[in-house]
Amino acid sequence: MPQVLRFVVRRVGRALLTLWFAATVTFLLLRLLPGDPALAVASPNMTPEARHTLLQQYGLDESLLAQYGKYLWQLLHGNLGISFSQQVPVTTVLMERLPWTLLLTVSSLLVTVAVGIPLGVLAATRPRGFLDRLVQVGGVVGQSLFVPSVGIFLLFMLGLQLHWLPIGGAYSPGVYGFAWYGDVLQHLVLPCFSLVLVQLGSYVLTLRSTLIESLGEDYCVLAQAKGLPNRKVVWKHALRNALLPTTTLVGLQLGFLVGGAVLTETVFAYPGIGRGIYEAVTRLDFPVLQGAFVLLAATVVLANVLTDLAYGLLDPRVRTT
Amino acid sequence: MTATPASAVAGLETVTTDQVTAARATWSAFRRNPLGVASLGILAVLVLVGVCAPLIADSPSGYGEQVLQAPSGAHWFGTDNLGRDIFAEVLWGARLSIVIAALSSALAILIGVLVAVLGAYFPKTDMVIGTVVDLCLSLPVLPLMILVAALAGPSLVTVVLVIAFFSWPEVTRVVRSQALSVVRLPYMDAARLTGGSHVWIIRKHLLPAVAPVIVVSVVLTASRAVLSAAGLAFLGLGDPNSWSWGRILYEAEQSGAMSSAWWTTLFPSLAMLALVVSATLISIAYNDARNPRTRED
Repeated sequence: MPQVLRFVVRRVGRALLTLWFAATVTFLLLRLLPGDPALAVASPNMTPEARHTLLQQYGLDESLLAQYGKYLWQLLHGNLGISFSQQVPVTTVLMERLPWTLLLTVSSLLVTVAVGIPLGVLAATRPRGFLDRLVQVGGVVGQSLFVPSVGIFLLFMLGLQLHWLPIGGAYSPGVYGFAWYGDVLQHLVLPCFSLVLVQLGSYVLTLRSTLIESLGEDYCVLAQAKGLPNRKVVWKHALRNALLPTTTLVGLQLGFLVGGAVLTETVFAYPGIGRGIYEAVTRLDFPVLQGAFVLLAATVVLANVLTDLAYGLLDPRVRTT
Repeated sequence: MTATPASAVAGLETVTTDQVTAARATWSAFRRNPLGVASLGILAVLVLVGVCAPLIADSPSGYGEQVLQAPSGAHWFGTDNLGRDIFAEVLWGARLSIVIAALSSALAILIGVLVAVLGAYFPKTDMVIGTVVDLCLSLPVLPLMILVAALAGPSLVTVVLVIAFFSWPEVTRVVRSQALSVVRLPYMDAARLTGGSHVWIIRKHLLPAVAPVIVVSVVLTASRAVLSAAGLAFLGLGDPNSWSWGRILYEAEQSGAMSSAWWTTLFPSLAMLALVVSATLISIAYNDARNPRTRED
């Protein structure tokens, strides 16, 4: 098998393994927790007949192994159950919300990278300088922030006091056409900015340390020795290699980012999956909670596979590891 | 006196066998780091405040008539939408946050270290453990915690168990990588040759070598537990019978007080930030102090 193909197969295989693991963990948790597993699929408020049919449909009257098989089978068909509170399939509920969560997380990642790279470069090129100290302190504080606190602070200052930006939701009713996009963008600013503030710290700190490391390596010393301008050594030679581990780290932290998005959406009443989770918690809508976790896990895994594959195609060294 | 088998291998932490000397050297280096000492002071004050909360203020339970008062001499941090004193809420919240952080990180460390050490010491199990840890770390943990906490019902025990159960993989990841490099050192072979039991080798030789990493992980896991507990409480999944910083924010959000009364959210947020930042700075200062290469002596 050619090397590239083997690499692709291995990465996709690992992604499938992760998905299977997530599904199995959910299944085991729901069955092994003290309490009635039927609670997870059937509302106690249902009529006994409806409840019985639903339990049968999920095979909750069968053995654990048979239940597990059925559960995976349903999952493969995209069947995540019926929402208690809305009486529609969980998949429908969540798929309406997924685009908003994707918009929020992807935009916050892009802004983090766009702001983080120049900051990291500035800090790494003058280590122990004033800006470097500032970046280090800011990085530690940023990592320690509680997402809702940041969200509430921004909402209070920029939304309620200064009236610069809308304070909640993802769009205003009654706005159509081209204006709608501008409106969506305006609503995106505060939640996106909250997530950026929380993520930026660890991104800049990692980039800074890997960049300092690559600047000390032989090929950078050589680039300097042959008289390349400093700017070129940093941006063309050192940064390219430093970005690799940094971006891998971003991939690994996607799970945390999703957690942050859940809390941010709650603060801003942003109609994504996170707000859906919050609403499901208040209504004890277990199928939605379970489906949200499975869907978010799948999204994270897919994002990781895509970045991994993109990497492998761009950087031949990755393929062999 | 200080035989350092690790110093021969480049890139490894120095293992000092004379532990008293090593600890003293680390402490004297730590003391010279102003940020580290200040953080230790802040953490000590927060813990003291948490322990002494019942002595300083009554548990905020009754409904007062002074609703949503701004901070004043009578109510230092103002009052919430039901007229309860936020200063008292923050104090009692410190108590609960510290209890949750201590219990859940203790449990997570126990599981995490055990799994990591066993994996490193018995290479046959390491493949499985490494894969499971990688898989756990790549999943979105908060939605999973929410699902379990909602199913099990919100209580202190649930919160502690849920956080511990989803935090140990991070501990294992950090401790395992250190343990794996220690297991390969010659002195471990020597320990095996003396015919000691596995338990003795792990307890006397492997654990002391990874202890510094464990110390750092205790601090980081505890501070992350504070944030996770606050996250759960903010979604209404905290213990409804006791005050936590997350619950203060949750109630401010639910009642809409957060949009008019900044003091309802600012003070619990600052307390949380102070706790987590000081814990992080302590772990950084400790790391610098115990590493002879970054130690400035």
